[in-house]
Formats: sequence, structure tokens, C-alpha cells
Amino acid sequence: MELVKVALDAMGGDNAPGAIVHGAIEAVKAREELFVYLVGQTEAIKAELNKYSGYDEKRVEIVEAPDIITNDEAPVDAIRHKDNSSVVKALYLVKNGQADAIVSAGSTGALLVGGQLIIGRIKGVRRSPLAPLIPTLDGVSLLLDCGANVDAKAVDLVQFAKMGSIYMENIMGVKNPKIGLVNIGVEEEKGNSLVKETYPMLKNSNDINFIGSVESREIPYGAADVIVTEAFVGNVIIKLYEGVAGALLKRVKEGFKSTPVSIMGAALAKPALKKTLKGFSIKEYGGAPMLGLKALVVKSHGNSDYVEIKNSLIQCIDFKKQRINEKIEENISANSEVSK
Amino acid sequence: MEFEKIRDIIVEVLNVEPDQVSEDSKFIDDLGCDSLDVMQIIMGMEQEFGIKISDEDAKAIVTVGDAVEKIQAAIN
Repeated sequence: MELVKVALDAMGGDNAPGAIVHGAIEAVKAREELFVYLVGQTEAIKAELNKYSGYDEKRVEIVEAPDIITNDEAPVDAIRHKDNSSVVKALYLVKNGQADAIVSAGSTGALLVGGQLIIGRIKGVRRSPLAPLIPTLDGVSLLLDCGANVDAKAVDLVQFAKMGSIYMENIMGVKNPKIGLVNIGVEEEKGNSLVKETYPMLKNSNDINFIGSVESREIPYGAADVIVTEAFVGNVIIKLYEGVAGALLKRVKEGFKSTPVSIMGAALAKPALKKTLKGFSIKEYGGAPMLGLKALVVKSHGNSDYVEIKNSLIQCIDFKKQRINEKIEENISANSEVSK
Repeated sequence: MEFEKIRDIIVEVLNVEPDQVSEDSKFIDDLGCDSLDVMQIIMGMEQEFGIKISDEDAKAIVTVGDAVEKIQAAIN
């Protein structure tokens, strides 16, 4: 059986290395084709590994990396100069062909910059978007770009749409995924200059199922499977999404606690609410992939627990097995006039 | 020889044709690079030639010819 090897940044994230190592162990137990490099401070990783047993130790290997890149460091400088940091070492394991993919819950900027600088983009891909799955009433949608590239052009958004479509079809099993362009109205003539330029290009793309513009309020209702936008707007959408959900939930909890009757009602409703909210938990899908690079880069949330890390690792297996990068390369080279 | 190697890196990173790249080409104005592209090319050169380019020298690279000069100086 061919192993899928993943370089895991063991020092990245609020809960590192504990939750990271725990996630790796659970993923290795769950999938026998997975091999994990735990990249980071050997002694700290060993201390965590010693807590677990009953896993195949031959599929877990520590790679020493004494340094850590923090969130307050300038990403380009850190990537260029901190050669012994866990994320740079993990990126080079991928670049040098020892690993197939990298997962990190550490500095988003460093990972995004490092992915592009060290691993590099697939030939013909102009920009690599960060593409998280977001929960909707219909399941999940892929939102891209969510923060990797500022000042994207229309040709970039068209590539994002195509890469997103390939991902949703092959990883999430969505047949003929619906592609929506984020806009301030559904009419074709609406939007800023970028949207107005992108719309007809998407409309004329025969290899995707473009359904037109999508207003942001329709996104949580599952208006499209792939939501295309540029990084600034995408980042605003996902943060507002998280903020509104959290605030609403807080207000509901306060309401439940406000009177003796509501407290009783809350006790009765709790199991059903818990089940409903679990369907909105994104950690079941793992972190956000950065599409269009020569190997898979997955950014997990900074506060990832072991479940999200486990699922981020498992995502790498499907990505390789479904030959996502080969499909992106075939698509982009077949549309090379668009990518220039 | 340095120019040809640097040109190959630029072609790979930017997906441009080799004849679009000359020593006079400006990375940003002529080749359409953004700052990340320039950095990717510089890191590619560092790896290709086994050298380190300082941040100050990296900032001073505007044209392909500038890059050739920096590489030749570092090698010598």
C-alpha cells in the first residue's frame, strides 16, 4: 500500500504540541495509509507521544525543528530567515519530496507565504487561494479566496472557480458543483469593476456550472457550492460569519437562562440543539486547503483541537488519492490562454 | 550563464516565455511581478546558486540585470 506522508507542524497553534500530537495519533490509528512527520521540538513532542499507545509507531517520525514562527512575525522575513522553524522545515520536507502535504495550525501568514515561496504554484496557476469549507443549511460550501492574495484579477477569480469546482466534486462528492460569484446584487450589471469583468468570463467557462452572482446573505442558505471572491471580501465574509454565529449563540444561551421556565425548556431542548449545532461544526472537515500549489498545504485553525488536526491529516489522503493537483494542472493547461 | 539560469527561474515562476525576459526587464513593471513573485524568484536564485542574498540587496533588485549582478558578486 502506498503511504501518504504528511509533514505536520507540531509547534503551530494555541494548543500545540498537545492537541497536534493527539490529532496525529488518532489519524494514524484511523487510516493505515497515513504516515506523519511530527516537525518541532523533539523533547516536547516525545513527552506528548509518551501519553499514547496502541498506534503504529513506524508511521510516526519526529523531525527536529527548534524554532517557532509566531503570529507577530513578518511572514516573508520569517520564512526567509528562520530555516530551523517547524513550519519551514515541514515545507522543505514537502518541497524535497519526502512528504506529500503539510498541515499547520500556526501563523497563517507564514504558511501562506511559505507555501507559495517554498513549494511553489502549479504551472499556469497565477495565484493560490485559501479555501475553507463553511457550514450552510445544505451542508458545506467552499469559500475562496479567503485571504491568501490581495489585488486578485478577473483571471485569478476564474481560476479559483475552476480549482474550487474540482475540489468540491472530487473531495466532497458534489456532482457538477454550483459556482457563485459574490456580489451586491444578482443582476449581471451589478458590482465593482472586478466583479463586472469576472462575471462574463465565468459565464463563458464551459467546464464549470456558473449560476451567477450570489449575495452574501444567501451564502448560509447554501446558495452555491463554491463561493468565489477576492481575498479581502472573502476574509470579511468568513470572520463576520464566525462572529455572527458566536454572538447569536451567546444571545440564545442568555435567553435560555433568563427565567426558571426557559431554563427548564433549555434542559428539554439541549439534546436536539446539540445535535443540530454539531452539523454546523467545521472541525469535522479539517482545515482549509490552499489550492493550486505543487503539493497540498492545509491551514488548520489556530485554536484547533485534536479532532480538527486529525481530519486535516485525513483530508491529505483524499487529496492525493483523488489526484486533485493533476486535475487542476490538466484544467489550467487546457485553459492556458486564461492563465496568461 | 547566470542570466540563462535566472531566466529559467523567472520563466518557471511567472509562466512567461523565455524571449519575454531580458537583462533590462523590470520585474514589476515589465514582467508583471508582485512582491511575492520577486521573493520567490530570489529564493529560487539562492537555491540554484547556493548563496544568500541579504534583505538590503533583495530590495535593490529592480531589473533582471540587477539580479545577475548580485549573483555574480555573491559567487565571486
